[in-house]
Amino acid sequence: MRRALFWFAVVIILVGFLWPIVWVYVTSLKSVADIFRPEKLVFSPTLYNYRYLVTVRPSIMEFRNALIITFASTALVMAVSLPAAYSFSRFNTGGGHLLFITISTRMFPGVVAALPFFFLFRNMGLLDTHIGLVLLYLYFNMSFATFLLYGFFREIPEELEHSAMVDGYSRLATFRKVIFPLIRPGAAVTTIFCLIWAWNEFFFAFLFTRRVARTVSVGLAVFWGSVEIQWGPMAAMMSLAILPTLAAAWFMQRFIIRGLTFGAVKG
Amino acid sequence: MLNRGDKVGVEREPVKLRGRKTVWQLLTGEKYIRWALVVPLLIVLAAFMFYPLFYCLYMSFQFYVLRKPSVFIGMENYRMVLHDMVFWLALGRTFYVLVVSIAVELALGMGIALLLNREFKGQNTIRGVCLLPLLISPLAMSLMWNYMLHVQFGIVNQVMVWIGLDRVEWFASPKTAIYCIMLISIWQWTPFSIFVILAGLKGMPKDALEAANVDGASRWFIFRKLTLPSLMPLIIIVILLRTMWLIRIFDPLYGTTRGGVGTELLDWMVYRIAFVFFDVGKAGALAIFSLYITIVLCAVLFRQLMKALGAAR
Repeated sequence: MRRALFWFAVVIILVGFLWPIVWVYVTSLKSVADIFRPEKLVFSPTLYNYRYLVTVRPSIMEFRNALIITFASTALVMAVSLPAAYSFSRFNTGGGHLLFITISTRMFPGVVAALPFFFLFRNMGLLDTHIGLVLLYLYFNMSFATFLLYGFFREIPEELEHSAMVDGYSRLATFRKVIFPLIRPGAAVTTIFCLIWAWNEFFFAFLFTRRVARTVSVGLAVFWGSVEIQWGPMAAMMSLAILPTLAAAWFMQRFIIRGLTFGAVKG
Repeated sequence: MLNRGDKVGVEREPVKLRGRKTVWQLLTGEKYIRWALVVPLLIVLAAFMFYPLFYCLYMSFQFYVLRKPSVFIGMENYRMVLHDMVFWLALGRTFYVLVVSIAVELALGMGIALLLNREFKGQNTIRGVCLLPLLISPLAMSLMWNYMLHVQFGIVNQVMVWIGLDRVEWFASPKTAIYCIMLISIWQWTPFSIFVILAGLKGMPKDALEAANVDGASRWFIFRKLTLPSLMPLIIIVILLRTMWLIRIFDPLYGTTRGGVGTELLDWMVYRIAFVFFDVGKAGALAIFSLYITIVLCAVLFRQLMKALGAAR
């Protein structure tokens, strides 16, 4: 009896968490008429909505833009954060204050950054460009990446480095030969998190792109036109947009909580 | 891993040539490398943190509506904001959403974590499924919830009809719309609470629990006196991080009511004044307020966290 009750609760929880995700895929396979008839649970699936994304309103550009911006910004973030995090963890550069300032950018309301940069970018002609959004995502992800990497660096015992340097390696060579192989898993986790944040980000993308550099998130919002919401194609695009993040959530289970809490909780 | 003499000669810095170091050698030398490594970060920080901050501060003392020269008006923007009923309503609503969402998330998270904190068949699969909502695009899910809660085409209303209830226009009334937005955010972030608490439950000292069991303490007593205090730091971490994120909530609003129907929260208001009315001065003042509130809230929570950590040790 207790077991039955337990499984009943588990099933309810699973349905609660999965239902909206499943519904994205169900809706994306429905025909135009079926989308407006929720009472029809059994329907004949169609790929009409996916074809719509290819032919009627091509969305390939939005995916391309999002991919370019996501990967470019993540590469930049790692290039900035990796050395900085190393410096923070080994030399305690700035006595902790600098690290705290870095992390506090994550508390900033998005509008505090959006307002000045909107005018700056407008003057510099960076609105609706890939570079503009890449720079914003650098700001957006940098503090998070630095702090997470800081935690990973802290786990590498300093003695390893000392012994390598006693053996005659320079600081740079030590980093390349000893530290980097050890930090690689942590760096991979951080990279994936940055990729996901940049991929999902909507606020900056919505304000700073119009047509040329429009990302997937903004493309989704465009289906909500002035007259009607095109639920079918929108669901089809959603199903494609959330697929990589769903896969990441599944494969990174061990690290998600650690990443989200900036390393404070090891899930 | 490293053998003595392994390519040492190649990697070693050349023996010092007094006063003839190149810049590269200077930067990678022991003395300056710590700063050389953080320079890129400092540049980004200066450009992306201090510039916007000072710009907002400066603009908050100006009257500047697009395409007209700005005029210095002192504290007028702040006075206007403080006398604006809409601001206070948005602020109150933001706090309401904060308190209710975080309370519900923690309660649900605690319940589900206690439920899942045992060995059972397929536990890894089930935990994995529970994690799925966390990383999904919030905008996509908000739009999906908007569709699911639709009065005619939504599955939620359809289910309500099937079990004999009336259809509800969820996003049409200020009474329900704000709860729908909370629901979206709670749906997405309850897994966060679950897994943070689960991590805490796994780290609980087993001997204390056993001792309490042997002494015949009731479950409620154990939970209140043993489990809850040791989880306190983690609960405060959840509250702290969720406050940081919730205060900037934007996507669920954009995906559903777009700030209408009595759901305008603080950040949406700043967005509206900045990018719909382009009243830059007032938006700057509001942004500074929003930042200030975040910092105060987080500082208070951070102190609580430190206190709880001290007590847990």
